[in-house]
Amino acid sequence: MANSLKGGAPRGQDLRPAPAMGRLPVEASDLDIVVVTARDEAGETLIRELQRTRSRVRHVWPPPDPLPVDTDVLFCDLVPGLPARLPWLPGEPKAALVALVPSSVLVDLDLLRKATPEAVLHRPFTPAAIVASLVLARSRFAYERRLRSRIERLDATLRATRSVERAKAILMGTRSMAEDQAYHHLRSQAMERRVSVGVIAAAIVDAHDLLG
Amino acid sequence: MGCTRKQAATSEPWRVGVLFSNSGFMAVIEETQLRGTLLAIDEINAAGGVNGREIVPVCYNPASEAAAFGHYAKCLMVADDVTTIFGCYTSSSRKAVLPVVERLNGLLWYPTLYEGFELSPNIIYTGAAPNQNSVALCRFLMANYGRRFYFVGSDYIYPRESNRVMREIVRNNGGEVAGETYLGLRARPADFLPVIREVHELRPDIIFSTVVGDATSHLYQAYADAGFDPKTMPIASLTTTEAEIRAMGFDVGAGHITAAPYFQGIGGDRDKSFVSRYKKRYGDDEPTNMCVEAAYFQVHIFARALEAANSMETDILRPMVLGSSLDAPQGRISIDAGNNHASLWTRIGRANRRGQFEVMQQSLSAVIADPFMVSCG
Repeated sequence: MANSLKGGAPRGQDLRPAPAMGRLPVEASDLDIVVVTARDEAGETLIRELQRTRSRVRHVWPPPDPLPVDTDVLFCDLVPGLPARLPWLPGEPKAALVALVPSSVLVDLDLLRKATPEAVLHRPFTPAAIVASLVLARSRFAYERRLRSRIERLDATLRATRSVERAKAILMGTRSMAEDQAYHHLRSQAMERRVSVGVIAAAIVDAHDLLG
Repeated sequence: MGCTRKQAATSEPWRVGVLFSNSGFMAVIEETQLRGTLLAIDEINAAGGVNGREIVPVCYNPASEAAAFGHYAKCLMVADDVTTIFGCYTSSSRKAVLPVVERLNGLLWYPTLYEGFELSPNIIYTGAAPNQNSVALCRFLMANYGRRFYFVGSDYIYPRESNRVMREIVRNNGGEVAGETYLGLRARPADFLPVIREVHELRPDIIFSTVVGDATSHLYQAYADAGFDPKTMPIASLTTTEAEIRAMGFDVGAGHITAAPYFQGIGGDRDKSFVSRYKKRYGDDEPTNMCVEAAYFQVHIFARALEAANSMETDILRPMVLGSSLDAPQGRISIDAGNNHASLWTRIGRANRRGQFEVMQQSLSAVIADPFMVSCG
Protein backbone atom coordinates (compact mmCIF):
# COMPACT_ATOMS: atom_id res chain seq x y z
CA MET A 1 0.00 0.00 0.00
CA ALA A 2 0.97 3.60 -0.49
CA ASN A 3 2.60 4.12 2.85
CA SER A 4 4.99 1.23 2.43
CA LEU A 5 5.99 1.94 -1.18
CA LYS A 6 8.68 4.58 -0.85
CA GLY A 7 10.30 5.40 -4.16
CA GLY A 8 8.80 2.41 -6.00
CA ALA A 9 10.47 0.10 -8.49
CA PRO A 10 13.40 1.32 -10.62
CA ARG A 11 12.24 2.88 -13.89
CA GLY A 12 12.42 0.90 -17.10
CA GLN A 13 12.00 -2.52 -15.54
CA ASP A 14 8.26 -2.60 -14.93
CA LEU A 15 6.10 -0.31 -17.08
CA ARG A 16 2.76 -1.25 -15.50
CA PRO A 17 1.40 1.61 -13.40
CA ALA A 18 1.94 0.96 -9.73
CA PRO A 19 -1.20 0.84 -7.55
CA ALA A 20 0.00 3.93 -5.71
CA MET A 21 3.49 5.33 -5.65
CA GLY A 22 4.87 7.40 -2.85
CA ARG A 23 3.50 8.58 0.42
CA LEU A 24 -0.12 9.65 0.89
CA PRO A 25 -0.14 13.44 1.22
CA VAL A 26 -0.99 14.74 4.68
CA GLU A 27 -4.26 16.19 3.41
CA ALA A 28 -5.37 12.69 2.26
CA SER A 29 -4.64 10.71 5.40
CA ASP A 30 -6.16 10.36 8.87
CA LEU A 31 -9.60 11.41 7.66
CA ASP A 32 -13.24 10.82 8.48
CA ILE A 33 -14.77 9.27 5.37
CA VAL A 34 -18.40 8.41 4.66
CA VAL A 35 -19.17 5.84 1.94
CA VAL A 36 -22.66 5.86 0.42
CA THR A 37 -23.01 2.91 -1.96
CA ALA A 38 -24.40 -0.63 -1.97
CA ARG A 39 -22.22 -3.03 -0.01
CA ASP A 40 -21.59 -5.37 -2.94
CA GLU A 41 -18.15 -6.64 -3.97
CA ALA A 42 -17.10 -3.23 -5.33
CA GLY A 43 -18.46 -1.49 -2.23
CA GLU A 44 -16.45 -3.80 0.02
CA THR A 45 -13.28 -3.15 -2.00
CA LEU A 46 -13.83 0.60 -1.65
CA ILE A 47 -14.35 0.44 2.11
CA ARG A 48 -11.36 -1.87 2.59
CA GLU A 49 -8.98 0.28 0.54
CA LEU A 50 -10.09 3.47 2.30
CA GLN A 51 -9.57 1.81 5.68
CA ARG A 52 -6.03 0.97 4.59
CA THR A 53 -5.29 4.72 4.30
CA ARG A 54 -5.76 4.77 8.09
CA SER A 55 -8.90 6.83 7.84
CA ARG A 56 -12.08 6.22 9.80
CA VAL A 57 -14.67 4.91 7.35
CA ARG A 58 -18.42 4.94 7.94
CA HIS A 59 -20.88 3.22 5.59
CA VAL A 60 -24.43 4.42 4.92
CA TRP A 61 -26.95 2.92 2.49
CA PRO A 62 -29.44 3.79 1.10
CA PRO A 63 -28.51 7.49 0.77
CA PRO A 64 -30.15 9.54 3.55
CA ASP A 65 -31.59 12.99 2.90
CA PRO A 66 -29.72 15.09 3.75
CA LEU A 67 -26.40 13.26 3.54
CA PRO A 68 -24.19 13.26 6.65
CA VAL A 69 -22.19 16.46 7.08
CA ASP A 70 -19.65 15.61 9.82
CA THR A 71 -17.02 14.13 7.51
CA ASP A 72 -13.94 15.10 5.50
CA VAL A 73 -14.72 13.11 2.36
CA LEU A 74 -17.96 11.75 0.99
CA PHE A 75 -17.82 8.84 -1.50
CA CYS A 76 -21.36 8.72 -2.87
CA ASP A 77 -23.22 7.06 -5.75
CA LEU A 78 -24.30 9.64 -8.33
CA VAL A 79 -27.98 9.05 -7.52
CA PRO A 80 -30.77 11.25 -8.91
CA GLY A 81 -31.40 14.10 -6.49
CA LEU A 82 -27.86 13.97 -5.10
CA PRO A 83 -27.24 17.74 -5.59
CA ALA A 84 -30.29 18.59 -3.47
CA ARG A 85 -29.29 16.09 -0.76
CA LEU A 86 -25.83 17.52 -0.24
CA PRO A 87 -25.85 19.16 3.21
CA TRP A 88 -24.31 22.44 2.04
CA LEU A 89 -24.83 25.21 -0.51
CA PRO A 90 -23.04 24.87 -3.85
CA GLY A 91 -19.84 26.88 -3.56
CA GLU A 92 -19.61 26.33 0.20
CA PRO A 93 -18.88 22.58 0.47
CA LYS A 94 -18.19 21.20 3.93
CA ALA A 95 -16.55 18.00 2.65
CA ALA A 96 -14.82 16.78 -0.50
CA LEU A 97 -17.16 14.77 -2.71
CA VAL A 98 -16.18 11.77 -4.84
CA ALA A 99 -18.99 10.74 -7.21
CA LEU A 100 -19.26 6.97 -7.71
CA VAL A 101 -20.45 6.16 -11.24
CA PRO A 102 -21.10 2.95 -13.16
CA SER A 103 -18.85 2.11 -16.10
CA SER A 104 -21.49 0.32 -18.19
CA VAL A 105 -24.00 3.17 -18.74
CA LEU A 106 -23.58 6.81 -19.72
CA VAL A 107 -23.12 9.23 -16.86
CA ASP A 108 -25.88 11.84 -16.43
CA LEU A 109 -23.70 14.86 -17.19
CA ASP A 110 -26.22 17.42 -15.96
CA LEU A 111 -26.48 15.58 -12.65
CA LEU A 112 -22.69 15.36 -12.45
CA ARG A 113 -22.29 19.11 -13.08
CA LYS A 114 -24.86 20.04 -10.44
CA ALA A 115 -23.35 17.71 -7.83
CA THR A 116 -19.98 19.53 -8.25
CA PRO A 117 -17.82 16.59 -7.11
CA GLU A 118 -14.09 17.06 -6.63
CA ALA A 119 -13.40 13.68 -8.28
CA VAL A 120 -15.17 10.82 -10.08
CA LEU A 121 -14.60 7.11 -9.45
CA HIS A 122 -15.81 4.47 -11.93
CA ARG A 123 -16.99 0.97 -11.05
CA PRO A 124 -15.48 -1.54 -10.69
CA PHE A 125 -13.21 0.23 -8.22
CA THR A 126 -9.50 -0.64 -8.28
CA PRO A 127 -7.20 0.14 -5.34
CA ALA A 128 -5.12 2.50 -7.50
CA ALA A 129 -8.14 4.47 -8.71
CA ILE A 130 -9.60 4.67 -5.20
CA VAL A 131 -6.46 6.22 -3.74
CA ALA A 132 -6.03 8.53 -6.74
CA SER A 133 -9.60 9.83 -6.41
CA LEU A 134 -9.13 10.38 -2.68
CA VAL A 135 -5.92 12.37 -3.18
CA LEU A 136 -7.37 14.39 -6.06
CA ALA A 137 -10.60 15.19 -4.21
CA ARG A 138 -8.82 16.33 -1.06
CA SER A 139 -6.29 18.35 -3.07
CA ARG A 140 -8.97 20.18 -5.07
CA PHE A 141 -11.12 20.73 -2.00
CA ALA A 142 -8.21 22.25 -0.07
CA TYR A 143 -7.16 24.35 -3.07
CA GLU A 144 -10.63 25.87 -3.50
CA ARG A 145 -10.77 26.60 0.20
CA ARG A 146 -7.42 28.40 -0.03
CA LEU A 147 -8.67 30.42 -3.01
CA ARG A 148 -11.84 31.41 -1.17
CA SER A 149 -9.82 32.49 1.83
CA ARG A 150 -7.50 34.47 -0.44
CA ILE A 151 -10.50 36.32 -1.90
CA GLU A 152 -11.78 37.07 1.61
CA ARG A 153 -8.40 38.43 2.64
CA LEU A 154 -8.12 40.48 -0.55
CA ASP A 155 -11.54 42.00 0.15
CA ALA A 156 -10.47 42.89 3.68
CA THR A 157 -7.15 44.30 2.46
CA LEU A 158 -8.87 46.43 -0.15
CA ARG A 159 -10.95 48.04 2.58
CA ALA A 160 -7.97 48.41 4.91
CA THR A 161 -5.92 50.10 2.20
CA ARG A 162 -8.39 52.97 2.09
CA SER A 163 -8.07 53.47 5.87
CA VAL A 164 -4.29 53.29 5.64
CA GLU A 165 -4.20 55.95 2.92
CA ARG A 166 -6.42 58.24 4.98
CA ALA A 167 -4.48 57.63 8.18
CA LYS A 168 -1.26 58.37 6.30
CA ALA A 169 -2.70 61.67 5.06
CA ILE A 170 -3.83 62.57 8.60
CA LEU A 171 -0.38 61.85 10.05
CA MET A 172 1.29 63.84 7.29
CA GLY A 173 -1.09 66.76 7.84
CA THR A 174 -1.26 66.89 11.65
CA ARG A 175 2.19 65.63 12.65
CA SER A 176 4.03 67.00 9.63
CA MET A 177 5.49 63.58 8.90
CA ALA A 178 6.96 62.64 5.52
CA GLU A 179 5.13 59.92 3.62
CA ASP A 180 7.57 57.13 4.50
CA GLN A 181 7.63 58.27 8.14
CA ALA A 182 3.85 58.06 8.27
CA TYR A 183 3.85 54.50 6.90
CA HIS A 184 6.63 53.53 9.31
CA HIS A 185 4.66 54.99 12.22
CA LEU A 186 1.59 52.93 11.26
CA ARG A 187 3.64 49.75 10.93
CA SER A 188 5.48 50.15 14.22
CA GLN A 189 2.28 51.01 16.12
CA ALA A 190 0.65 47.89 14.65
CA MET A 191 3.61 45.69 15.63
CA GLU A 192 3.72 47.12 19.15
CA ARG A 193 0.02 46.45 19.69
CA ARG A 194 0.04 43.16 17.79
CA VAL A 195 -2.80 44.16 15.47
CA SER A 196 -2.96 44.71 11.72
CA VAL A 197 -1.95 47.99 10.11
CA GLY A 198 -5.56 48.31 8.94
CA VAL A 199 -6.83 48.27 12.55
CA ILE A 200 -4.35 50.96 13.60
CA ALA A 201 -5.22 53.06 10.56
CA ALA A 202 -8.96 52.78 11.26
CA ALA A 203 -8.35 53.83 14.89
CA ILE A 204 -6.39 56.91 13.80
CA VAL A 205 -9.08 57.87 11.31
CA ASP A 206 -11.83 57.45 13.94
CA ALA A 207 -9.87 59.40 16.55
CA HIS A 208 -9.25 62.18 14.06
CA ASP A 209 -13.01 62.26 13.40
CA LEU A 210 -13.82 62.56 17.10
CA LEU A 211 -11.31 65.34 17.60
CA GLY A 212 -12.91 67.15 14.66
CA MET B 1 -29.52 12.90 -24.12
CA GLY B 2 -29.13 16.65 -24.74
CA CYS B 3 -29.59 16.84 -28.53
CA THR B 4 -33.07 15.39 -28.95
CA ARG B 5 -34.35 17.36 -25.99
CA LYS B 6 -32.99 20.64 -27.34
CA GLN B 7 -34.47 20.15 -30.81
CA ALA B 8 -37.89 19.47 -29.38
CA ALA B 9 -37.63 22.40 -27.02
CA THR B 10 -38.18 25.31 -29.43
CA SER B 11 -41.61 26.15 -28.02
CA GLU B 12 -40.72 25.35 -24.42
CA PRO B 13 -40.79 28.36 -22.11
CA TRP B 14 -37.67 30.09 -20.78
CA ARG B 15 -37.70 29.41 -17.04
CA VAL B 16 -36.24 32.04 -14.72
CA GLY B 17 -35.96 32.11 -10.92
CA VAL B 18 -37.45 34.92 -8.80
CA LEU B 19 -36.46 35.44 -5.15
CA PHE B 20 -38.18 38.28 -3.30
CA SER B 21 -39.89 38.13 0.12
CA ASN B 22 -43.70 38.23 0.26
CA SER B 23 -43.61 38.18 4.02
CA GLY B 24 -41.41 39.21 6.94
CA PHE B 25 -39.87 42.56 7.79
CA MET B 26 -38.52 43.24 4.26
CA ALA B 27 -41.80 42.53 2.44
CA VAL B 28 -42.77 46.23 2.06
CA ILE B 29 -39.99 46.84 -0.44
CA GLU B 30 -39.29 43.32 -1.77
CA GLU B 31 -42.92 42.84 -2.82
CA THR B 32 -42.59 45.92 -5.02
CA GLN B 33 -39.48 44.39 -6.65
CA LEU B 34 -41.45 41.20 -7.25
CA ARG B 35 -44.18 43.28 -8.89
CA GLY B 36 -41.69 45.12 -11.10
CA THR B 37 -40.22 41.79 -12.18
CA LEU B 38 -43.59 40.21 -12.98
CA LEU B 39 -44.81 43.32 -14.82
CA ALA B 40 -41.80 43.19 -17.14
CA ILE B 41 -42.21 39.44 -17.72
CA ASP B 42 -45.91 39.98 -18.59
CA GLU B 43 -45.04 42.76 -21.03
CA ILE B 44 -42.47 40.59 -22.79
CA ASN B 45 -44.84 37.62 -22.98
CA ALA B 46 -47.70 39.81 -24.22
CA ALA B 47 -45.43 40.95 -27.04
CA GLY B 48 -44.82 37.33 -28.08
CA GLY B 49 -42.11 36.25 -25.66
CA VAL B 50 -38.45 35.94 -26.55
CA ASN B 51 -37.85 34.31 -29.95
CA GLY B 52 -41.39 32.98 -29.76
CA ARG B 53 -40.95 31.42 -26.34
CA GLU B 54 -42.67 32.56 -23.17
CA ILE B 55 -40.74 33.56 -20.02
CA VAL B 56 -42.03 31.60 -17.02
CA PRO B 57 -41.02 32.75 -13.52
CA VAL B 58 -40.33 30.15 -10.83
CA CYS B 59 -40.94 32.10 -7.60
CA TYR B 60 -40.04 31.27 -4.01
CA ASN B 61 -40.76 33.34 -0.90
CA PRO B 62 -37.64 33.49 1.33
CA ALA B 63 -39.71 35.41 3.94
CA SER B 64 -36.94 37.95 4.73
CA GLU B 65 -34.52 35.26 5.99
CA ALA B 66 -31.06 35.59 4.44
CA ALA B 67 -30.28 31.85 4.76
CA ALA B 68 -33.52 31.00 2.92
CA PHE B 69 -32.27 32.95 -0.09
CA GLY B 70 -29.24 30.65 -0.31
CA HIS B 71 -31.42 27.59 0.15
CA TYR B 72 -33.91 28.59 -2.56
CA ALA B 73 -31.12 29.62 -4.94
CA LYS B 74 -29.81 26.06 -4.58
CA CYS B 75 -33.32 24.64 -5.20
CA LEU B 76 -33.73 26.81 -8.30
CA MET B 77 -30.40 25.83 -9.77
CA VAL B 78 -30.19 22.12 -8.90
CA ALA B 79 -33.85 21.04 -8.89
CA ASP B 80 -35.68 23.55 -11.11
CA ASP B 81 -33.00 23.75 -13.85
CA VAL B 82 -32.90 27.53 -13.65
CA THR B 83 -29.74 29.45 -14.58
CA THR B 84 -30.93 33.06 -14.20
CA ILE B 85 -32.34 34.44 -10.95
CA PHE B 86 -33.91 37.86 -10.37
CA GLY B 87 -33.80 38.71 -6.71
CA CYS B 88 -32.45 39.94 -3.38
CA TYR B 89 -32.81 43.23 -1.57
CA THR B 90 -30.52 43.00 1.46
CA SER B 91 -26.78 42.51 1.09
CA SER B 92 -27.02 39.55 3.47
CA SER B 93 -29.36 37.80 1.05
CA ARG B 94 -27.12 38.64 -1.94
CA LYS B 95 -24.12 37.23 -0.12
CA ALA B 96 -26.10 34.04 0.62
CA VAL B 97 -26.89 33.56 -3.09
CA LEU B 98 -23.44 34.57 -4.39
CA PRO B 99 -21.54 31.28 -3.75
CA VAL B 100 -24.39 29.29 -5.32
CA VAL B 101 -24.49 31.25 -8.59
CA GLU B 102 -20.70 31.39 -8.71
CA ARG B 103 -20.22 27.63 -8.24
CA LEU B 104 -22.96 26.57 -10.63
CA ASN B 105 -22.24 29.45 -13.04
CA GLY B 106 -25.64 31.11 -12.94
CA LEU B 107 -26.60 34.79 -13.15
CA LEU B 108 -28.13 36.73 -10.27
CA TRP B 109 -29.77 40.00 -11.33
CA TYR B 110 -29.63 42.26 -8.27
CA PRO B 111 -31.94 45.31 -8.50
CA THR B 112 -30.97 47.06 -5.27
CA LEU B 113 -28.60 49.83 -4.22
CA TYR B 114 -25.77 48.40 -2.15
CA GLU B 115 -22.48 49.29 -0.44
CA GLY B 116 -20.16 48.47 -3.34
CA PHE B 117 -16.84 46.62 -2.99
CA GLU B 118 -18.02 43.54 -4.85
CA LEU B 119 -17.67 42.32 -8.41
CA SER B 120 -18.83 38.82 -9.17
CA PRO B 121 -18.86 37.56 -12.76
CA ASN B 122 -22.12 35.86 -11.81
CA ILE B 123 -24.02 38.95 -10.65
CA ILE B 124 -25.46 41.82 -12.71
CA TYR B 125 -25.81 44.83 -10.39
CA THR B 126 -28.65 47.15 -11.46
CA GLY B 127 -29.06 49.23 -8.26
CA ALA B 128 -26.84 52.16 -7.30
CA ALA B 129 -23.27 51.82 -6.02
CA PRO B 130 -22.10 54.49 -3.52
CA ASN B 131 -20.56 56.77 -6.15
CA GLN B 132 -23.97 56.89 -7.87
CA ASN B 133 -25.93 58.09 -4.83
CA SER B 134 -23.92 58.78 -1.63
CA VAL B 135 -21.41 61.24 -3.08
CA ALA B 136 -24.00 63.58 -4.60
CA LEU B 137 -26.27 63.24 -1.56
CA CYS B 138 -23.48 64.23 0.82
CA ARG B 139 -22.58 67.33 -1.19
CA PHE B 140 -26.21 68.35 -1.51
CA LEU B 141 -26.80 68.02 2.22
CA MET B 142 -23.69 69.98 3.16
CA ALA B 143 -24.56 72.77 0.74
CA ASN B 144 -28.11 73.05 2.06
CA TYR B 145 -28.25 71.92 5.70
CA GLY B 146 -24.86 71.91 7.41
CA ARG B 147 -21.83 69.77 8.09
CA ARG B 148 -22.73 67.69 11.17
CA PHE B 149 -24.15 64.23 10.43
CA TYR B 150 -25.77 61.70 12.74
CA PHE B 151 -25.79 58.12 11.37
CA VAL B 152 -28.59 55.70 12.25
CA GLY B 153 -28.87 52.31 10.59
CA SER B 154 -30.20 48.76 10.79
CA ASP B 155 -27.61 46.37 12.14
CA TYR B 156 -26.46 44.28 9.18
CA ILE B 157 -23.90 44.41 6.37
CA TYR B 158 -25.29 47.20 4.19
CA PRO B 159 -25.68 50.01 6.78
CA ARG B 160 -22.31 49.39 8.40
CA GLU B 161 -20.44 49.14 5.09
CA SER B 162 -22.39 51.98 3.52
CA ASN B 163 -21.67 54.22 6.54
CA ARG B 164 -17.98 53.37 6.30
CA VAL B 165 -18.06 54.77 2.78
CA MET B 166 -20.33 57.71 3.75
CA ARG B 167 -18.07 58.64 6.67
CA GLU B 168 -15.19 58.93 4.23
CA ILE B 169 -17.22 61.06 1.83
CA VAL B 170 -18.44 63.32 4.65
CA ARG B 171 -14.92 63.88 5.89
CA ASN B 172 -13.50 64.51 2.44
CA ASN B 173 -16.10 67.24 2.01
CA GLY B 174 -15.18 68.86 5.31
CA GLY B 175 -18.05 67.50 7.37
CA GLU B 176 -18.13 65.44 10.57
CA VAL B 177 -20.02 62.50 12.00
CA ALA B 178 -21.41 63.56 15.39
CA GLY B 179 -22.83 60.15 16.31
CA GLU B 180 -23.53 56.70 14.95
CA THR B 181 -25.96 54.04 16.13
CA TYR B 182 -27.40 50.72 14.89
CA LEU B 183 -30.67 48.98 15.72
CA GLY B 184 -31.81 45.41 15.06
CA LEU B 185 -33.59 44.66 11.79
CA ARG B 186 -36.73 43.92 13.79
CA ALA B 187 -36.47 47.10 15.90
CA ARG B 188 -39.77 48.26 17.45
CA PRO B 189 -41.06 51.82 17.78
CA ALA B 190 -39.84 52.10 21.39
CA ASP B 191 -36.29 51.20 20.32
CA PHE B 192 -36.05 54.55 18.53
CA LEU B 193 -36.68 56.65 21.65
CA PRO B 194 -33.01 56.54 22.77
CA VAL B 195 -32.03 57.53 19.22
CA ILE B 196 -34.31 60.57 19.37
CA ARG B 197 -32.90 61.46 22.81
CA GLU B 198 -29.37 61.35 21.43
CA VAL B 199 -30.36 63.51 18.46
CA HIS B 200 -31.83 66.02 20.96
CA GLU B 201 -28.51 66.18 22.78
CA LEU B 202 -26.19 66.22 19.76
CA ARG B 203 -28.27 68.53 17.56
CA PRO B 204 -26.80 67.39 14.24
CA ASP B 205 -27.65 69.18 10.98
CA ILE B 206 -28.65 65.98 9.20
CA ILE B 207 -29.82 62.52 10.30
CA PHE B 208 -28.42 60.06 7.76
CA SER B 209 -30.51 56.89 7.86
CA THR B 210 -29.68 53.44 6.55
CA VAL B 211 -32.59 51.93 8.48
CA VAL B 212 -34.44 49.46 6.22
CA GLY B 213 -37.65 47.43 6.34
CA ASP B 214 -40.53 48.01 8.75
CA ALA B 215 -38.23 49.88 11.16
CA THR B 216 -38.07 52.77 8.65
CA SER B 217 -41.60 53.82 9.58
CA HIS B 218 -40.74 53.73 13.28
CA LEU B 219 -37.75 56.05 12.81
CA TYR B 220 -39.65 58.69 10.82
CA GLN B 221 -42.64 58.43 13.17
CA ALA B 222 -40.42 58.87 16.25
CA TYR B 223 -38.85 61.90 14.53
CA ALA B 224 -42.31 63.40 13.85
CA ASP B 225 -43.49 62.69 17.40
CA ALA B 226 -40.44 64.51 18.78
CA GLY B 227 -41.47 67.62 16.87
CA PHE B 228 -38.27 67.99 14.84
CA ASP B 229 -38.41 70.08 11.66
CA PRO B 230 -37.26 68.55 8.33
CA LYS B 231 -36.51 72.08 7.05
CA THR B 232 -33.60 72.44 9.44
CA MET B 233 -32.65 68.82 10.27
CA PRO B 234 -33.98 66.39 7.63
CA ILE B 235 -33.60 62.63 7.62
CA ALA B 236 -31.54 61.80 4.52
CA SER B 237 -31.59 58.27 3.16
CA LEU B 238 -30.57 56.04 0.29
CA THR B 239 -33.20 53.43 1.08
CA THR B 240 -36.42 55.32 1.90
CA THR B 241 -38.49 55.11 -1.28
CA GLU B 242 -42.11 55.88 -2.17
CA ALA B 243 -42.99 52.42 -0.74
CA GLU B 244 -41.63 53.21 2.72
CA ILE B 245 -43.17 56.72 2.65
CA ARG B 246 -46.53 55.18 1.88
CA ALA B 247 -46.13 52.69 4.75
CA MET B 248 -45.27 55.45 7.28
CA GLY B 249 -47.87 57.97 6.02
CA PHE B 250 -47.33 60.88 3.63
CA ASP B 251 -47.36 63.53 6.38
CA VAL B 252 -44.71 61.65 8.38
CA GLY B 253 -42.38 61.38 5.37
CA ALA B 254 -42.85 64.91 4.00
CA GLY B 255 -39.76 67.12 3.80
CA HIS B 256 -37.21 64.32 4.11
CA ILE B 257 -34.50 63.63 1.52
CA THR B 258 -33.61 60.52 -0.51
CA ALA B 259 -30.98 59.97 -3.22
CA ALA B 260 -31.94 57.46 -5.92
CA PRO B 261 -31.56 56.83 -9.66
CA TYR B 262 -35.34 56.96 -10.04
CA PHE B 263 -38.42 58.52 -8.45
CA GLN B 264 -41.99 58.06 -9.63
CA GLY B 265 -42.24 61.80 -10.09
CA ILE B 266 -39.34 62.33 -12.50
CA GLY B 267 -41.75 62.75 -15.42
CA GLY B 268 -41.10 62.11 -19.10
CA ASP B 269 -43.11 59.89 -21.44
CA ARG B 270 -41.24 56.70 -20.67
CA ASP B 271 -41.75 57.09 -16.93
CA LYS B 272 -45.40 58.11 -17.29
CA SER B 273 -46.27 55.05 -19.35
CA PHE B 274 -44.31 52.81 -16.94
CA VAL B 275 -46.20 54.27 -13.95
CA SER B 276 -49.58 53.92 -15.64
CA ARG B 277 -48.94 50.29 -16.57
CA TYR B 278 -47.81 49.57 -13.01
CA LYS B 279 -50.91 51.23 -11.52
CA LYS B 280 -53.19 49.49 -13.99
CA ARG B 281 -51.92 46.14 -12.82
CA TYR B 282 -51.45 46.75 -9.10
CA GLY B 283 -53.87 49.54 -8.22
CA ASP B 284 -54.09 53.34 -8.48
CA ASP B 285 -52.60 54.03 -5.06
CA GLU B 286 -49.55 51.78 -5.60
CA PRO B 287 -46.50 53.97 -6.23
CA THR B 288 -43.46 52.89 -8.20
CA ASN B 289 -39.99 53.39 -6.67
CA MET B 290 -36.29 52.95 -7.51
CA CYS B 291 -36.36 49.24 -6.58
CA VAL B 292 -39.43 48.53 -8.74
CA GLU B 293 -37.81 50.36 -11.59
CA ALA B 294 -34.51 48.46 -11.39
CA ALA B 295 -36.36 45.14 -10.98
CA TYR B 296 -38.41 46.09 -14.05
CA PHE B 297 -35.72 47.33 -16.42
CA GLN B 298 -33.30 44.50 -15.63
CA VAL B 299 -35.82 41.94 -16.92
CA HIS B 300 -35.99 43.90 -20.18
CA ILE B 301 -32.18 43.96 -20.42
CA PHE B 302 -32.22 40.21 -19.82
CA ALA B 303 -34.88 39.62 -22.50
CA ARG B 304 -32.94 41.55 -25.13
CA ALA B 305 -29.74 39.69 -24.32
CA LEU B 306 -31.63 36.40 -24.40
CA GLU B 307 -33.07 37.26 -27.80
CA ALA B 308 -29.54 37.69 -29.16
CA ALA B 309 -28.07 34.68 -27.33
CA ASN B 310 -31.09 32.40 -27.75
CA SER B 311 -29.67 30.41 -24.85
CA MET B 312 -29.94 30.44 -21.07
CA GLU B 313 -26.37 29.13 -20.77
CA THR B 314 -24.63 31.77 -18.68
CA ASP B 315 -21.46 31.75 -20.77
CA ILE B 316 -23.48 32.49 -23.92
CA LEU B 317 -25.96 34.93 -22.33
CA ARG B 318 -23.55 37.04 -20.25
CA PRO B 319 -21.56 38.51 -23.18
CA MET B 320 -24.87 39.75 -24.64
CA VAL B 321 -25.74 41.47 -21.34
CA LEU B 322 -22.41 43.20 -20.78
CA GLY B 323 -22.19 46.48 -22.68
CA SER B 324 -25.89 46.53 -23.57
CA SER B 325 -28.08 49.58 -23.02
CA LEU B 326 -31.76 50.36 -22.65
CA ASP B 327 -34.14 53.29 -22.39
CA ALA B 328 -35.34 52.64 -18.85
CA PRO B 329 -37.99 54.71 -17.03
CA GLN B 330 -35.14 56.63 -15.31
CA GLY B 331 -33.47 57.42 -18.68
CA ARG B 332 -30.91 55.71 -20.88
CA ILE B 333 -28.89 53.21 -18.85
CA SER B 334 -26.29 50.59 -19.74
CA ILE B 335 -24.48 47.63 -18.19
CA ASP B 336 -20.77 48.36 -17.90
CA ALA B 337 -18.81 45.57 -19.57
CA GLY B 338 -15.88 46.01 -17.20
CA ASN B 339 -17.65 45.80 -13.85
CA ASN B 340 -21.11 44.19 -14.35
CA HIS B 341 -22.74 47.26 -12.76
CA ALA B 342 -25.39 49.44 -14.41
CA SER B 343 -24.55 53.03 -15.28
CA LEU B 344 -27.39 54.91 -13.56
CA TRP B 345 -28.73 58.42 -13.06
CA THR B 346 -28.06 60.28 -9.84
CA ARG B 347 -31.02 62.15 -8.39
CA ILE B 348 -31.80 63.88 -5.09
CA GLY B 349 -35.47 64.02 -4.13
CA ARG B 350 -37.47 65.61 -1.32
CA ALA B 351 -40.73 63.94 -0.26
CA ASN B 352 -43.85 66.09 -0.60
CA ARG B 353 -47.22 65.79 1.13
CA ARG B 354 -48.52 63.42 -1.56
CA GLY B 355 -45.88 60.77 -0.87
CA GLN B 356 -43.91 61.69 -3.99
CA PHE B 357 -40.36 62.96 -4.31
CA GLU B 358 -39.67 66.29 -5.97
CA VAL B 359 -36.34 66.18 -7.79
CA MET B 360 -34.02 68.81 -6.29
CA GLN B 361 -30.98 67.91 -8.34
CA GLN B 362 -29.98 65.37 -11.00
CA SER B 363 -27.01 64.28 -13.09
CA LEU B 364 -26.78 65.29 -16.76
CA SER B 365 -26.54 61.66 -17.87
CA ALA B 366 -26.09 58.16 -16.44
CA VAL B 367 -23.11 57.88 -14.08
CA ILE B 368 -20.73 54.94 -14.52
CA ALA B 369 -20.53 52.79 -11.37
CA ASP B 370 -17.26 52.75 -9.46
CA PRO B 371 -17.95 49.85 -7.07
CA PHE B 372 -14.51 49.93 -5.47
CA MET B 373 -14.49 53.75 -5.21
CA VAL B 374 -11.21 53.84 -7.08
CA SER B 375 -11.66 57.38 -8.34
CA CYS B 376 -13.68 58.75 -5.43
CA GLY B 377 -11.46 60.48 -2.89
